[in-house]
Amino acid sequence: MAIVTFGEAIRQAYEEEMRRDPNVFLIGEDVGRWGSLYRSSRGLLEQFGPDQVKDAPISEAAIAGCGVGAALMGMRPIVEIMYIDFVSIAMDQIVNHAAKWHQLSGGAVKIPMVLKTQGGCGRRNSSQHSQSLENWFVNVPGLIVVMPSTPYDVKGLLKSAVRNDNPVVFIEHKCLYFDKGEVPEGEYLVPLGKADVKRAGDDVTIIATSWMVQFALRAAEQLAEEGVSCEVADPRTLWPLDKETIITSVRKTGRCIVVTEAPMEGGWSGEAASVVHENCFEHLKKPVKRLCTVRTGIPYGPVFEREILPNELKIRTAVKDILK
Amino acid sequence: MSSDRLLSLYEEMVTLREFDELCLALKKKDFIYSGYHPYVGQEAVAVGFCGALRREDVLLSTHRAHCHAVARGCPRGGILTEMMGRRTGSAGGLGGGMQILDAPHNFYSGSIVGSNLPIATGVGLAMKQKKLDSVCMCLFGDGASNTGAFHEALNLAAIWKLPIIFVCENNQYAEAMPAREFVSCERISMRAKGYGLEEISIDGNDVEQTRATAEELIARTRNGKGPFLVEALTYRIRGHYVGDPESTYRTKDEVEEWRKKDPILRAGRGLLENGLSQRDLDAVSAKVSKEMEELEKWALAQEFPTLDEATAHVYIPLQKGRE
Repeated sequence: MAIVTFGEAIRQAYEEEMRRDPNVFLIGEDVGRWGSLYRSSRGLLEQFGPDQVKDAPISEAAIAGCGVGAALMGMRPIVEIMYIDFVSIAMDQIVNHAAKWHQLSGGAVKIPMVLKTQGGCGRRNSSQHSQSLENWFVNVPGLIVVMPSTPYDVKGLLKSAVRNDNPVVFIEHKCLYFDKGEVPEGEYLVPLGKADVKRAGDDVTIIATSWMVQFALRAAEQLAEEGVSCEVADPRTLWPLDKETIITSVRKTGRCIVVTEAPMEGGWSGEAASVVHENCFEHLKKPVKRLCTVRTGIPYGPVFEREILPNELKIRTAVKDILK
Repeated sequence: MSSDRLLSLYEEMVTLREFDELCLALKKKDFIYSGYHPYVGQEAVAVGFCGALRREDVLLSTHRAHCHAVARGCPRGGILTEMMGRRTGSAGGLGGGMQILDAPHNFYSGSIVGSNLPIATGVGLAMKQKKLDSVCMCLFGDGASNTGAFHEALNLAAIWKLPIIFVCENNQYAEAMPAREFVSCERISMRAKGYGLEEISIDGNDVEQTRATAEELIARTRNGKGPFLVEALTYRIRGHYVGDPESTYRTKDEVEEWRKKDPILRAGRGLLENGLSQRDLDAVSAKVSKEMEELEKWALAQEFPTLDEATAHVYIPLQKGRE
């Protein structure tokens, strides 16, 4: 296996899917000349030309609508919204059209569009470029919501998302692009709707998403030295949720902590906790705990960002607490 | 225009009028639930523009969609029973009058004002990249021309030279908001200039003009000269919806003035001047009325979908282990 960055894994997925199917095209602000903000589409404009790699003006509503219309015509657009915070401008197209038209047409119309964006804090961007808005999409029937955490997952999931006939909201994390990990040389897919146990353990299940998976894994590593065995489950797809993997894990460990970067209230972390309570109640030794970012606009700068986020220390403390 | 051609357009307009009247009657009896927006007075726009497309062309419509669909050639039974929420509706009765999707006839409408313009750019882009000989027509109203989506889509279509005809059906009222007060320029077509496009405004109540303009713009668009923005000035004779408080935004005198400019009366006068008799025109009305009676009878006999059918297509189930 080769060791590649998260961004390079994305580029490989683009390259393979665009070559496999000429109906696949990438559209967004600076996806061509720049090769995307974090260089995940670098070189593709030269390789595939401006029809398949389309730089678009700063017009998120038009870009997203363009994706819907092109998908309607049998193309497979990958629509990139540079920051998830800008998705507010595109929301009508995603929520009222991409998510609705399959049902509204009695199944006649398919919108095989991937809305690809990146969110989260950690790069000192303050509150309009750092949000975790995945919960918005989880609340819309008709959308699939994906949040990959490793180079292997992002490549395999992106390829699956492109081939899937549903609209898929694919949310990357801005702190992951330069992370390295193993990626197979040959073609592979990671199934949508399938969680992955990133670390096996017996004492407590930590369900973590996106960047938080790394914090959970580091906390688990540290706790292992103290004799505590943590299982870390990464849902990878927030919706539809792989309940089976989560339930199996929590029935084994009897304890569960959900860690997300999105605020706790009204969000997916509550959904995950409810799934556990509804299905594992008699196995639970303690109520499910949640560890999420403080409910605030993301403050500016590196210090405050770190303060409000879950981190290894907070996760370790929560684990010790739930083991009491 | 020859009398035969005009007569045929006249019949299509009468069909739209009678269809709309039938919808009104069914709405009053609560067979049509919500989302019915009367079309009376605007028939020359739908007939002129929607009727000029080929089957493979794509038409994107609005919340006031039913007459666009009829003029486009979507089966009337499918449209009417869609509005009535019946299983035989063009989309199984799931969308109603504001969200008529008739995929086999390339007809798509939606109820978020202005949202179809961005979608048109994607349809046009796909047509261009696939080198299809088809065009996309996108209808919207004066209200939509005030949305951000209008601006974003016009700019995108213009910079990429997409095969789209944007038709602004200016019926002078966005719900209760008069265009004269809520649109910043005298004619909406003036906005075309900002995108480097021609300014085209036409009389939307003159079916000869709407059809001739549509044919010309469609031909030019097929030849790679698109996009175009055309404003067709017309008038919404009835309220935004049935029973809206009309007196809050316009006078009866104003409505009466526009009734005199009714596109059907106008085309009828043209036909009489061309030597047809009132009896010929009455024969058209009688024929259409009979068709509508049969349509109503058929529609009322159709079944409703089950809840399972209504919620069957939320998403396409993932294939286990594959994707």
